[in-house]
Amino acid sequence: MLSINLINTYRIPQTFEYYRPRSLREALELLNAIENAKVIAGGTDLVVDLKYRRVTPRALVDVSGLSELKFVKAGDSYVEIGSATTIQELAENGAVRRYLPLLAEAAELFGSWQIRNLATIGGNLCNASPAADTAPPLLAHDAELELASLSGSRVVPLAKFFAGPKKTVLERGEILRSVRVPVHRRRAGWSFIKVARTSFDLAKVSVAVLLSLDGNTVADVRIALGSVAPTPVRARTAEKHITGASFEEAVALAPELVAREIAPIDDVRSTARYRLEVAKTVVRDAMRRAYERFFRVGVEV
Amino acid sequence: MYDFIGKRFPRHDGFIKAAGLAEFTFDVEVPGMLYGRIFKSPYAFAKVGRIDTSLAESMGAVVLTPDDVPDVLFNPRLVSIEEDTFKDWRVLTKTPRYVGEPIAAVAAPTEDSAQRALEALRVEFEEVYEPILDPFEATSPGARQIHARIMRGRRWVEVRSNVGAELRYSEGDLEAEERRSSVIVDRRFHVPRRYHAQLEPKGAVCKIEPDGTLTAWTTTQTIHNTKIMISQVYGIPMNRIDVRKVPIGGGFGSGIHTNLVTLIAVGLCLKAGRPVKLVLTREDDMVHDHVSFEFYMRIRAGATREGEITFGEMENTVDMGAHQVQAYPLLGASLGWFVSLYKWRALRYYGRAVYTNKVPSCAIRGYGAPEVTWAVETVVDEMAEELKMDPVEFRLKNYRGRGEIFWGQGPTVRSVIRSDGVPELMAKCSELIEWKKRGDPKSKTGRFRRGIGVGRGFHTSGAGGPLSGAVIDYSGAIVKLNEDGTVDYITALQDHGGGTLDAHAKIIAEELKVPPSRIRIVWSGTATTVYDVCTHASRGVFVGGEAARRAAAEVRRKILEYAARMLDAVNPEALRVTYDKELDDAVIFVEGAPEKRISLGEVARIAWQRNWGSISASVSYRATVAPPSFTVYFVEVEVDTETGVVRPIRVVAGADVGTVISPELAAGQLHGGFAIGWSWATGDEVVYLRDGTPAHRLSMTDYKIPTVLDLPDDENFTVVFASTHEPFGPFGAKGLGESASNPVVAAVANAIYNAIGVRFYEIPITPERILRALKGGG
Ligand SMILES: Cc1cc2nc3c(=O)[nH]c(=O)nc-3n(C[C@H](O)[C@H](O)[C@H](O)COP(=O)(O)OP(=O)(O)OC[C@H]3O[C@@H](n4cnc5c(N)ncnc54)[C@H](O)[C@@H]3O)c2cc1C
Repeated sequence: MLSINLINTYRIPQTFEYYRPRSLREALELLNAIENAKVIAGGTDLVVDLKYRRVTPRALVDVSGLSELKFVKAGDSYVEIGSATTIQELAENGAVRRYLPLLAEAAELFGSWQIRNLATIGGNLCNASPAADTAPPLLAHDAELELASLSGSRVVPLAKFFAGPKKTVLERGEILRSVRVPVHRRRAGWSFIKVARTSFDLAKVSVAVLLSLDGNTVADVRIALGSVAPTPVRARTAEKHITGASFEEAVALAPELVAREIAPIDDVRSTARYRLEVAKTVVRDAMRRAYERFFRVGVEV
Repeated sequence: MYDFIGKRFPRHDGFIKAAGLAEFTFDVEVPGMLYGRIFKSPYAFAKVGRIDTSLAESMGAVVLTPDDVPDVLFNPRLVSIEEDTFKDWRVLTKTPRYVGEPIAAVAAPTEDSAQRALEALRVEFEEVYEPILDPFEATSPGARQIHARIMRGRRWVEVRSNVGAELRYSEGDLEAEERRSSVIVDRRFHVPRRYHAQLEPKGAVCKIEPDGTLTAWTTTQTIHNTKIMISQVYGIPMNRIDVRKVPIGGGFGSGIHTNLVTLIAVGLCLKAGRPVKLVLTREDDMVHDHVSFEFYMRIRAGATREGEITFGEMENTVDMGAHQVQAYPLLGASLGWFVSLYKWRALRYYGRAVYTNKVPSCAIRGYGAPEVTWAVETVVDEMAEELKMDPVEFRLKNYRGRGEIFWGQGPTVRSVIRSDGVPELMAKCSELIEWKKRGDPKSKTGRFRRGIGVGRGFHTSGAGGPLSGAVIDYSGAIVKLNEDGTVDYITALQDHGGGTLDAHAKIIAEELKVPPSRIRIVWSGTATTVYDVCTHASRGVFVGGEAARRAAAEVRRKILEYAARMLDAVNPEALRVTYDKELDDAVIFVEGAPEKRISLGEVARIAWQRNWGSISASVSYRATVAPPSFTVYFVEVEVDTETGVVRPIRVVAGADVGTVISPELAAGQLHGGFAIGWSWATGDEVVYLRDGTPAHRLSMTDYKIPTVLDLPDDENFTVVFASTHEPFGPFGAKGLGESASNPVVAAVANAIYNAIGVRFYEIPITPERILRALKGGG
């Protein structure tokens, strides 16, 4: 641990250059030209890291003002969200609320008003915290990320994006441009549940569920979790197992199956045992709520 | 009845705070000011060797080391009399005894250069010892001594087994009472260290005036004790120090003593010969500066078959951390809370405060009362259950009420209870919460279980008494009439943000019949006020308010003398005073003679024009009683037995504060009192890693307190005030600040028991602990 005398949160106790590019292209050029430059969006993770000297960049490239990265587009088969879109915009945006209510629900439970208005979806994903609240809904939706660089762009499924706590597959010179969420026009119920110490905290456990039924049979189910593994995770084996089962059977089986796919730890927020136990309960709760919503308000996702 | 008391007026500091204009310590800017930073010990227990300051000094910084400060031992809190004050602190130390203990400090022209200078200090550690973090380990044979000797008053005393202070007390024939008992409950309780989470981190700004006197602005609950402390440590005569009163962002006990930052800032300022600002960051404040005491209690108590309480026995090991911030009076106060809760026919108490290598503990809202009340109210609930008596009835039968001797703040602070709203509150509040329908935990099933619990408690109003005792408690007030009839109120008493001084303004207003808008609460300092001990012990309204009332009464007497001369009345007794709405001023008149009328504004103007002299009064007031302000909480919770999450559903908070001076602010104290109590009951806990580093080193990210969204909304929070009148209080008022939170943990814990049938003897009752209790895992 860093010596306590090096921490002074009134200041950012280090110096760096600061750039505010006018276009994505310019931002990419800066990233390319400057060794050890870092993107900053809302700064709600990065500034904390800078204060605690967990990162020591030579330059910051601020993308929060780039209109190219601030949009929500609803196409025929996908919804695309610019990486600099704030969490509050996600919570309020009509297309997100309509097509991706699971994501909107997570956005509503995110941080506080002040944080939601600064924090961006791109920052949330690129920071790669196991507790990132937008990750489980986006994993459930099989979202893809478009990573831009000077040499073009590549598309990476979100499931392959996280490489560990605070680690992603982003390469030097790359910027997350947008998050693309496929929409299949299939009726579904949804639920995002977050268990935290207070209403203003990172999750101890979070669960996102998307559920489609055929009668009472599970036609399609996605279960994703946060804060119970080194990265946000999908419980794919569990999903496979319970697809085709009756809903009651699925709910009975899912918790134990999901438990095998997670690896929670002890930290200041909770214990591994609690997380394991409660993840099972919350999976059940989220499935039930998704089930109920499927019949009551089911949306096409 | 009253013109101003009980009514609603804008707060004197409401606008400036809402608009962000209030100037807190952090906002004080003095030309030429340097910025200070503290070099904190990274080790929990070590010995410092050489401190190389050359690099920092070559960067232009002023460096303060242990050799630069007077070698004086002190206790940063001045509340006990000198003979009962245990001293083991130094401004800067060569033997750090907790992670974060100040070793040196720097001051430099900018915040950044100060930080760089701090990083340029080279401190060698000659030895690093294994820290002692557990009080039972600290007291076991062979444990390293954290302090070899300390001072009690002016005498040196040896410290044995790391026990810094002890207190024993007994009364009555315990064995006989025990034999008479048909139920005996014996339990051990643990309350961890908790952070105060006051809004404003601690800080100070100091300046040497051209005449060589020292001015200090600081985040303190007591400006006069800060003045005395600076004088004692630095040997500066008290009339050459002016500690200014600035708004503070809450206290909860964290500023009850002179925070080390203030003494370090003074040292830097004296050495530099320049003004210095030294303000802790949230991390400094939260991780390294102050926490509550940690309690390990054992309570044994009995009752007869008929439900009469017989005896009570309490053992109290307090983990106080590395230094004493008046741990000795805490042992006495804990005994006081215990004694005064119920009518024990015999009692025995042993308390000790133990040193460990952790941040020194200081008072937190309630000064031991929430902790003791939780333990006692748990035992009392259990006894009632065993006796198959209604817990409310059992309490009513056995609590100490009207006519009983009461000694809240320790053995030397005793008085007789004259106002008691407990029966009224119990009746009203239990009805509102539907107590009779709460059900038996055994009958409750299903995942979400609701339970209702009761907690009853009290706090003293100040620490006054008929005999001088071991605690200092008196206050002062100056009221002065200006030449236009407006009033200046000058007091040292600090308002933590709860509106204490607005209550004072209403008290003065009521006495003079002048509207509060014509009374200015002057931001003053120690040079221009008379002594007030501190805003603590819920004494702000009861003691400070009575001082203000007495000063106002004196002013009123003088006003009537002048007015009698002006109106040709035979003597001042012939006059009446009333508040005139149209004039928005006091009017003095002769009853039955409508032409014989004069406004206060006129009296003041004429007295000035005719050279009669100013009207003012300066009062120093000692209260001879410290009446209990009783509170009763009924809380309904819902426990999710699958996740262990507990939600507050409904709260009925009953308070006996005598006359309610500001109903909305008093209700605010109850809301806030519930919030902090809920936090203690369900979440607050400072944990240390094995090397003595606090686990919540990322401060507010790691350590959480509830937000407004985690608490009941107004609709589900009912406040009930008792209709009592305290004969010794200003217009019948008593204190509230601490009684507002004292029984909350007890009520919440009893409600959780009523929901799930599990008693917890350790707080916080976290979801993890609940789940472990219910399922064995967690
Ligand atoms: C008080 C508080 C409460 C919080 N509550 C929550 C919560 O409830 N749930 C939750 O999930 N999080 C929470 N957070 C964490 C944080 O707010 C979120 O992770 C937020 O989404 C980060 O976004 P940002 O725009 O602020 O990222 P920044 O801090 O600007 O950046 C974070 C990281 O992402 C990188 N980055 C940002 N944008 C891009 C991009 N377009 N391309 C490549 N890299 C990029 C940065 O270089 C940096 O490494 C909280 C934080 C605070 C301080």
